[in-house]
Amino acid sequence: MTFEVGPAGESAMRLIFSEPPQPALTRKLLAIQDTAQQYFSETLIDSVIGYTTLTLFFTPFKFERDRAEAWLREQADNPMPETSRPGERAEQPVILPAFYHPSVAPDLEWLANDTGLSVDDVIRLHCEQTYFAYATGFAPGFCYLGNVDSRLVTPRLNTPRPHVPAGAVAIADSQTAVYPCDSPGGWRLIGACPERLFTLESTPPSKLSVGDFVRFEPISEADFYSMSRPT
Amino acid sequence: MNALQIQRAGIASSVQDSGRFGMLQMGIPPAGAMDWCALVSGQRQLGHLQDEAAIEVAYGDFVASPTDDCHIVVTGAPVSLSIDHQPVSPTSVHTVAGGQTLDIKAAAAGVYSYLHISGGVATAPQFASRSTSPREGVGGLNGGYLRNGDVLPIGDFAGSEGGADPHLITARTRETLWLRFVPGFQYAALSDAAIKDLLQSDYIVTPKANRMGVTLAGTTIETGIQTLLSEATCHGAIQIPPDGQPIVLLNDRQTVGGYPKPGAVIRSDCLRLAQARPGQKVRFALCSPEEADRIQWLEQHYLETRLR
Repeated sequence: MTFEVGPAGESAMRLIFSEPPQPALTRKLLAIQDTAQQYFSETLIDSVIGYTTLTLFFTPFKFERDRAEAWLREQADNPMPETSRPGERAEQPVILPAFYHPSVAPDLEWLANDTGLSVDDVIRLHCEQTYFAYATGFAPGFCYLGNVDSRLVTPRLNTPRPHVPAGAVAIADSQTAVYPCDSPGGWRLIGACPERLFTLESTPPSKLSVGDFVRFEPISEADFYSMSRPT
Repeated sequence: MNALQIQRAGIASSVQDSGRFGMLQMGIPPAGAMDWCALVSGQRQLGHLQDEAAIEVAYGDFVASPTDDCHIVVTGAPVSLSIDHQPVSPTSVHTVAGGQTLDIKAAAAGVYSYLHISGGVATAPQFASRSTSPREGVGGLNGGYLRNGDVLPIGDFAGSEGGADPHLITARTRETLWLRFVPGFQYAALSDAAIKDLLQSDYIVTPKANRMGVTLAGTTIETGIQTLLSEATCHGAIQIPPDGQPIVLLNDRQTVGGYPKPGAVIRSDCLRLAQARPGQKVRFALCSPEEADRIQWLEQHYLETRLR
């Protein structure tokens, strides 16, 4: 596997693989992240997994750049982990209920038209796929899920919407996601999930993490409104 | 228990300490004081030792009254300061009686000032910090910017005798602010012409400058990179969106992003950028990681010697 290791600013180190994203690569990144926490202990203050990257953030002045770089190269050269590491979430997918209806999904009919599918086919294709959580970020609890059925691949909006409601189920390129909180957003909105994906009071606060498998399950309007929490 | 009653909260005032760490993977940015030297200076002047939170005021426009007697000091961007309408030295520690009114007004330079109150702002910490992350609704008072009429709890003072050089100001004006950056991320994938444009053009700080980042205006950088897989950003990362105008990402940045980044501006220059007003001329310059270490060490040494 080819990779690069280099600085991400003055106190972070970044490992990037040149392979396309795939669950096995993400598991390798998760394994390195886990080992890094033990190896560097308190000098490592943060770490972030991207589609093909792991970035380690260190305490300034306690950061030994050469050592961190050499260690990351050594880890990257290790073979892919063959089995799940202990404590890893089961490969049983997390089920997210979703209400697919134009009243909560302004782009659902547009997507059907654009792809030449029926609305029912769009819903069916979105629910048939088991997705993998490649990265989190953008907003707390936002999880980049891939890949959507090739027939549903769609570009993001040219101009992002200033307001996307929490729970919006969205597609952009070959990714899908649920917006965890009200925010601006440029993804196409095809449904609404009544579950809260990020709750500060929960441990952990985020329902989804990198490495999870996720499926969407269509629900009725009545279920959607009875499951939605009052705001 | 002391409390601060806010009559005028200003445009973007928030509770900040030195920020929260370990939450990036969750999508929560570090937040924390944009001018950490000003934060530490005020903490030490009041004798605070536990990273007590202060009120960060942008473009100083803040009026408030403590309910009990306390000491206060304002650090960071210069301000004019009055107590019960009497102008007082804006850089000294003052004793304020319960019920007196503090009025902070912006002076001609800088952006972020810090009002420190003995005992510190005592809102409930979230994920080990009181810093406000408004977009995420984390920390501070109810997770957001302060509003007129808010009442902030103030802790009991448990420090020691204060001591710090009151003239620790990093927000002095300068014709050109140099932004030294450590190359990384997509630096090697950018064309020579794009790097030359970045290094040899003047940029101007635009009004699109806030706690998330500072958007610059100047020569358009053609990265030639269409799509990138989302990856971690970092403090100071120079992000080039499709319009080619660089954005330097700061404390409240998105934790991941998919725009090309030729590198990251070093911390000490980020601090000065955060304190720069729109219209400030800036230039980018390359900086090796070793040189960045040296500068960081010198800055820390400077800070420490003035905090004694």
